[in-house]
Amino acid sequence: MVLTPDFASRPVISFQHVWKRYPTGTEALRDINLAVPEGDFIFLVGPSGAGKSTVVRLLIREERPTKGKIFVDGVELGRMKRRQLPFYRRKVGLVFQDFKLLLNLTVYENVAFALRVLGEADRIIRSRVAEALDTVGLAGKEHTYPANLSGGEQQRVAIARALVHAPRMIIADEPTGNLDPATAWEIMQLFLRINARGATVVMATHNREIVDLLRRRVVAIDAGQITRDDRSGRYHEDVSKPQLRAQ
Amino acid sequence: MKMFRNLNFALSSAWQSFWRNLAVSLAAVLSITLILILAGINLLVGHAFSQVLDGFRAKVSEISINVADGTPLQTVYDYQQHLSADPRVASVRFVTKEEALAGFTADPNNAALSTSIDGNPLDAKLEVKVNKLDDVAAIDALARQWPGVDPTNPTNYQGDFVNRMLELSQWLGLAGVGLLAILVVVSVVIVMNTIRTAVYHRRKEIEVMKLVGATEWFVRGPFVIEGVMTGVIAAAVALSLLVLTYQPMVERFRADLTFIPLSYDPAFISSLARDLLLGGALLGALGSYIGVRRFVRI
Repeated sequence: MVLTPDFASRPVISFQHVWKRYPTGTEALRDINLAVPEGDFIFLVGPSGAGKSTVVRLLIREERPTKGKIFVDGVELGRMKRRQLPFYRRKVGLVFQDFKLLLNLTVYENVAFALRVLGEADRIIRSRVAEALDTVGLAGKEHTYPANLSGGEQQRVAIARALVHAPRMIIADEPTGNLDPATAWEIMQLFLRINARGATVVMATHNREIVDLLRRRVVAIDAGQITRDDRSGRYHEDVSKPQLRAQ
Repeated sequence: MKMFRNLNFALSSAWQSFWRNLAVSLAAVLSITLILILAGINLLVGHAFSQVLDGFRAKVSEISINVADGTPLQTVYDYQQHLSADPRVASVRFVTKEEALAGFTADPNNAALSTSIDGNPLDAKLEVKVNKLDDVAAIDALARQWPGVDPTNPTNYQGDFVNRMLELSQWLGLAGVGLLAILVVVSVVIVMNTIRTAVYHRRKEIEVMKLVGATEWFVRGPFVIEGVMTGVIAAAVALSLLVLTYQPMVERFRADLTFIPLSYDPAFISSLARDLLLGGALLGALGSYIGVRRFVRI
């Protein structure tokens, strides 16, 4: 069964017969084929241990595939040299369930951090950080430390940091996992706005309500295999509307 | 411009991190200080020994060639010139029989003996200073072949003593180098582990740095600078303690061990300061570089 959707635009992400076996012997992914066109919004769903996070780790090149090829923007990640990796990661915005904020830095410093590593001038950093914090609704909280923010606000800081360098792609691993439903929904609104500006969004999630409400592309993974790839899908297979399936 | 900004960032984050993680920073400073104190003591002891050895060397690198009575003065002068032309020889001084006697009687240690001397039993002599201690034996052998030498007592060269001195100075030099090498290895391991502990506390920061696209050197830079800072502070502390205790310790040893001509050498402090500061900076940088490597690799 071919699961790759037949979208018109050139895929910005392409998994070609990707296998991943960890040194422990666990086979996390088996023959994954996936094409994500530019500007797409894709949910990776599935039970815990299905392989969603492995897909994310492969995409940010924390791991290399055991077999197969992954292309991002035409570049094969498996062949990318270590010294090229930082430059690749600068094109990607990353958001995680645990926010990964630096607790000893203020909100401003956390967001500015992504630009500091690029060696940007202070003047540019100031204006871009202000813009990013405005986008996520945290203007005025620049000097607050993460410990003094709510979970939702901390995730907003992480999102501001992910988008401050205007990446073409946002990869999010369970970004609403630690949030209450109302806050999770607010965070999703942010992702939708980022996607509406043209950024491709790949999100691994367990949040059934959000996936079912948004009706975006859904790729279901189970036991390391893609079991479903619906263009406008739901968290669980929608047997009543088979026409929505990509194939 | 970008490089300058990155350097500025590395410097300011190293400074901030040093103060923010003060307990860990102080632990690193303390361990490097202790190591540098040991290294400094090694250098000071080595310097004291080399001073003592230099004194001995100066004594044994000078030999007297005794001139046989009746040797024509011109023959002595010719031989003096011949010796002076030898590249191994630093200087040659001719001491007449009269000068030798005057020197002998002027020495208070010979006061009793000089009253009982009848006439002048002493030889005239050529006092030869040799550049390298190793060459004294060769000059002695050369002198013994000179026809003008006193065949009953040709020179005052004490081959055994010189050889023992040479051997001792070689062994002391080797022991000093060996001790310093052991200290360097031990200190790098200690500093590396101390800094690895400091880095472990900040692994999340490193992870975030890598995820937002920091290069390995961007991540490593602040740690290496912090290591240099730690090393320099430790060196300054170690140096202060050593400078404060150097003179009293030398005086104490000189009082207890009168037969060893130890002396306080204030000029050595500047070279000790240079060595300790450089050593501390290198130690901190190397320890950080190795300590952070495992966490930095992308």
